[in-house]
Amino acid sequence: MIDDQLKNIAEQAKIDLQECRNQNDILNIRAKYLGKKSIVNSLYSQLRNLSEEERPAFGKKVNELRNELERMIEEKEEELKLQIVNAYDSVQVYDLTLPGVYFPPGSLHPLTIIRRKMEDIFISLGFQIAEGPDIEDEYHNFDALNTPEDHPSRNLADTFYLDNGYLLRTQTSTVQVRIMESYPPPIYIISPGRCYRNDKPDPSHSPVFHQVEGLVVDKGISMADLKDTLQFFAKAMFGPEVKSRIRPHFFPFTEPSAEMDISCVSCQGKGCRICKNSGWLELAGAGMVDPNVLEMMGIDDQKYSGYAFGIGIERIAMLKYNIPDMRILYENDVRMLRQFRREII
Amino acid sequence: MIISARWLSKYIDLPETFEELVQTLTFTGIEVEAIKEIPALPETVVTARILTSEKIPGTEHLQICMVDFGKGPLQVVCGAPNCHSGLITVFAQVGSKLPEMEIKKTTIHSVESEGMLCSEKELGISDNHSGIIELPPETPIGISINEIFELPDSIIELEITPNRPDLLGYIGIARDLAASLNKRLKLPSLRNYPGEEDPSIKLTLLLQEPQKCPRYTARIIDGISIKESPLWLKIALIKSGLRPINNIVDITNYVMLETGQPLHAFDYHKLLPINQENSHPAIIVRRAKAAEEFIALDGNLYHLDEEDLVIADGQRPSALAGIIGGKDTAISNQTTTIVLESANFSPSTIRKSSLRHKISTDSSYRFERHLSPAHLEKVSNRALELILKVVGGRVCNELYDTYPEPQKPLYLSVRPSRFEELIGYELDAFLIKNYLQSLGFQYILCGLWQKEPINEYELLPQAISLDLEKNDNQIFYENPQMALYFQIPPYRVDITREADIIEELARLDGFDKIPQKKIIHPIMDWHAHHIKHRIEDYFRQSGFYEMINPSFIDPIKLEYLGEDKAELEKKLIRIVNPQSSNQSSMRTTLLPQLMDNLLYNLNHSERNLKLMELGKLYWKDGNKNCETLHLTALMTGLNTLDHWKVKNEPIDIYSVKGVVEGLLDQLGITIDEMKKVQHPWLVEADNLAYFSKGNLCASFGKMRVKTAEKFNIDIITLKQDIWVLDFEINTLIELTRTYKTVFSPLPKFPAVIRDISFLINLSIPYSDIVKSIQQVEPYLIKDVNIFDEYRGKSIPDGLRSISLHIILQDYEKTLTEERVEQVIDSVIKMLENTWQIKMR
Repeated sequence: MIDDQLKNIAEQAKIDLQECRNQNDILNIRAKYLGKKSIVNSLYSQLRNLSEEERPAFGKKVNELRNELERMIEEKEEELKLQIVNAYDSVQVYDLTLPGVYFPPGSLHPLTIIRRKMEDIFISLGFQIAEGPDIEDEYHNFDALNTPEDHPSRNLADTFYLDNGYLLRTQTSTVQVRIMESYPPPIYIISPGRCYRNDKPDPSHSPVFHQVEGLVVDKGISMADLKDTLQFFAKAMFGPEVKSRIRPHFFPFTEPSAEMDISCVSCQGKGCRICKNSGWLELAGAGMVDPNVLEMMGIDDQKYSGYAFGIGIERIAMLKYNIPDMRILYENDVRMLRQFRREII
Repeated sequence: MIISARWLSKYIDLPETFEELVQTLTFTGIEVEAIKEIPALPETVVTARILTSEKIPGTEHLQICMVDFGKGPLQVVCGAPNCHSGLITVFAQVGSKLPEMEIKKTTIHSVESEGMLCSEKELGISDNHSGIIELPPETPIGISINEIFELPDSIIELEITPNRPDLLGYIGIARDLAASLNKRLKLPSLRNYPGEEDPSIKLTLLLQEPQKCPRYTARIIDGISIKESPLWLKIALIKSGLRPINNIVDITNYVMLETGQPLHAFDYHKLLPINQENSHPAIIVRRAKAAEEFIALDGNLYHLDEEDLVIADGQRPSALAGIIGGKDTAISNQTTTIVLESANFSPSTIRKSSLRHKISTDSSYRFERHLSPAHLEKVSNRALELILKVVGGRVCNELYDTYPEPQKPLYLSVRPSRFEELIGYELDAFLIKNYLQSLGFQYILCGLWQKEPINEYELLPQAISLDLEKNDNQIFYENPQMALYFQIPPYRVDITREADIIEELARLDGFDKIPQKKIIHPIMDWHAHHIKHRIEDYFRQSGFYEMINPSFIDPIKLEYLGEDKAELEKKLIRIVNPQSSNQSSMRTTLLPQLMDNLLYNLNHSERNLKLMELGKLYWKDGNKNCETLHLTALMTGLNTLDHWKVKNEPIDIYSVKGVVEGLLDQLGITIDEMKKVQHPWLVEADNLAYFSKGNLCASFGKMRVKTAEKFNIDIITLKQDIWVLDFEINTLIELTRTYKTVFSPLPKFPAVIRDISFLINLSIPYSDIVKSIQQVEPYLIKDVNIFDEYRGKSIPDGLRSISLHIILQDYEKTLTEERVEQVIDSVIKMLENTWQIKMR
């Protein structure tokens, strides 16, 4: 009879356990069968009603029942845990083809992007960045740069003059003058910035434009160093396959003066609309710093020599991004700017 | 390598001060790792004899001693295990100040003690505290201990770079110092010891591995008795970090420290012969046999293999070559005849065996670094001389010397012109000669440079006669290939090329002589450069498009903004020859051009726009032209989050405020004042300006309908606010110039976050609430953050509901629940009293 009673308890526990859905149910079952006021505990309390002889056998059976119940509950617990883990691991309710959350960035202006790229290239070569004012006097813009009094670039048609007697710098070479005034050689600088020339806006001109000027003054600087630097720049900016050349030109503040061309980035030198079938694109003005300029700055031109170059940022941006008209750069159309959001700088 | 300045001074006159010595060592290229000065001991610390010693009953070690120190005798209690009557030791009288204590008259176990018998540790000489110092019996009594221990002294720990094994001995270090200080190197004078031919005491020496052991010398000395070393020898070893063992072993160690060359001594009579026909004790330099067993001096059993090189006798290994000696053939108190080994082993053999068997000794450390075999006989003679002097005995036979392939001479040439090219200044040829000669290089001739080293005298080029002392250096620059030829001393195994010689010259002449050639002035303002990038990138990342507009502006547009005409006139810079009237002056603000950009883009169907420009403004201040960097931004439309699930919210005052405060936070600018902006183009209510230390940093506000109208934008029909943001870039650059990140130690105890919600009067600003809460417990309340604000239906008029996270943290200990409750309770009480809040 006792055996039946115990068997029934086990049977009932099995049924109860089948109903279990979560950890809480398990706790309830445990309380019901094994807790303080549980079925098993009440069985133990029957012990004292039994005779000495009956006790061991009964006790043993209850112990077995308790162990059996313990095992069943633990088994169920494991099963539930496994279910949860499996469910967690196998959930597939998302449509992974829907786009994710993303806060779209804006974009820097291509002129800023190119300026930064140029700065990085020259900084990697040991140049420092120096900046100066847009509003300049004639001395820094012309006199100190060996530009004669009657030079046509001093005309109103070329240079903007201000009502207080100053002018807007026509090139950032003015910064070179200011640096040479303040620091002895060796000097390795670039000066990026705004320049102004009284040109009517057209596809390749703008009254306000941007330049990166470079200046090196040191012992033993030759035109070969200038060529190396410009070539390094061209390849860093347009790729290792780009060819470059320098050819004679004229600037008042350099002697000899040169212009630098690169092989056309569009047709690789075969000849096309962009390079006007020449195969070459003009990239920079350059030359060896004129001894007069050095002398005016109080630098011994027998001991030191130097080179200078100027590169238009608009020009580089147009060539690099295939922008046909300079005026596009000043429209500030966000549809244009959006195209540059992935540029790395 | 640990050296004593006193010992070093045997070989060279040291500089006046210890600081100078350290300085010279450092700039000669011998790095000083640690310095320990052993000060002179008081004159009251003297030698003394223990007359009687008697155990104190009921104690384990304590003894009552009567001590004679020239005066006395005095009664002293001593606990050292080696304390016994007759011993001569060191006695510190009452009143002596020792490095770690002052000696006082005391009573121990009711016995009076008038002074102390000292261990090495108590005198600060070493860390040895195993017993009191034992001085030799012939030591006079009552003399100052400074004399005996050569005090004061300085112990210098040097880091010897692996390329300089020649510096692993006192003489090598002294040689470098001598060259650097232009002083004479004092070497111990040596004589030859031919030895008496003794057919009964002979050695069979077989060198089977000349690759692994290029040279092996052995010397037999008979008639010695093994004892403790004399005091001077023991003291010398102790100061250099070695433990004295016995007279023979101590001498081999002393000579190793002196010359850098490890030596080993075998007990001649324990070396077994090869067989009966060849019955002399044998030394065979051979590879170990596979699984050959060897019990070393350290008592361990090693299983050798064929890669190990052993010094064996006729039967078994008696040393693991160059690493450790064997137990069976070691010097013992019974030893009367020794074999003194002075040998050379290949570095790779030693390194491999040392690694494989995990044994590193002073000997293996030196052999691993490549020693020269050239002067082994001299080192052997030096040890012999010391043995004869200290121990006595008799030299048997000639030096056994097996040197199958003697090291060839090495000649290298160095060009003075190359020194100038590499180091940057001219060094006179005669100085080059002097420096190198003081390092032990031998000057041979002056001739044309040759890159390859020369190993035979006959192959040297023809000498060009030249008087180097005449100091005419010009010839070396007229012909840059003119070079000086030197024979390299064999112990300088690191010198193999011209560049190595030039390094020696540069370091001896001093790196401080290297001139500063190009002074590159710092021109660039890196800080401004980086801050500008940070700002540009911040706006790009926040969804803004950068505009670039010309510097020219139409003055009429400034009037559109409502600026005062007379004020404008004062600051406006006009262009004499403008291309058109709408480009006739320099811009004093970026706003009009940005309004034009906004209109342009609105007209091209872009509704949600964030535009910014970072550029210069230009104005005059009397006769002065001013240019400052400024950033203006416009925001209108929706905050576009590219998401199909989340609705795009209109740009409101808090998203604009977030852009401003986000940048200020990223730049680390502390805002100490906020107030309304008085711009005629901004709506009066919804605007704010931020100040730091009195400087305007940034401001934002909502554009007036009327102003927008002037720029052809109809805000009412557009149904979008236009927000204007302004940043004073120059100010931001200057305010951040001194910003420094300093790591602060991470809190060891976790922070606790508590949330509170309450109703509060609408007129009370959030910032005031936060400030008042932080003041309740400034040390514990680390942060207060709002996570919800609600006004509306269920909230009574004139009130709002505020929900806050209060973050508490104690850097010293874990916060208890009670303490947290206590703080939160006082916060609530304060809020109730100050603002009449109602908790929710």
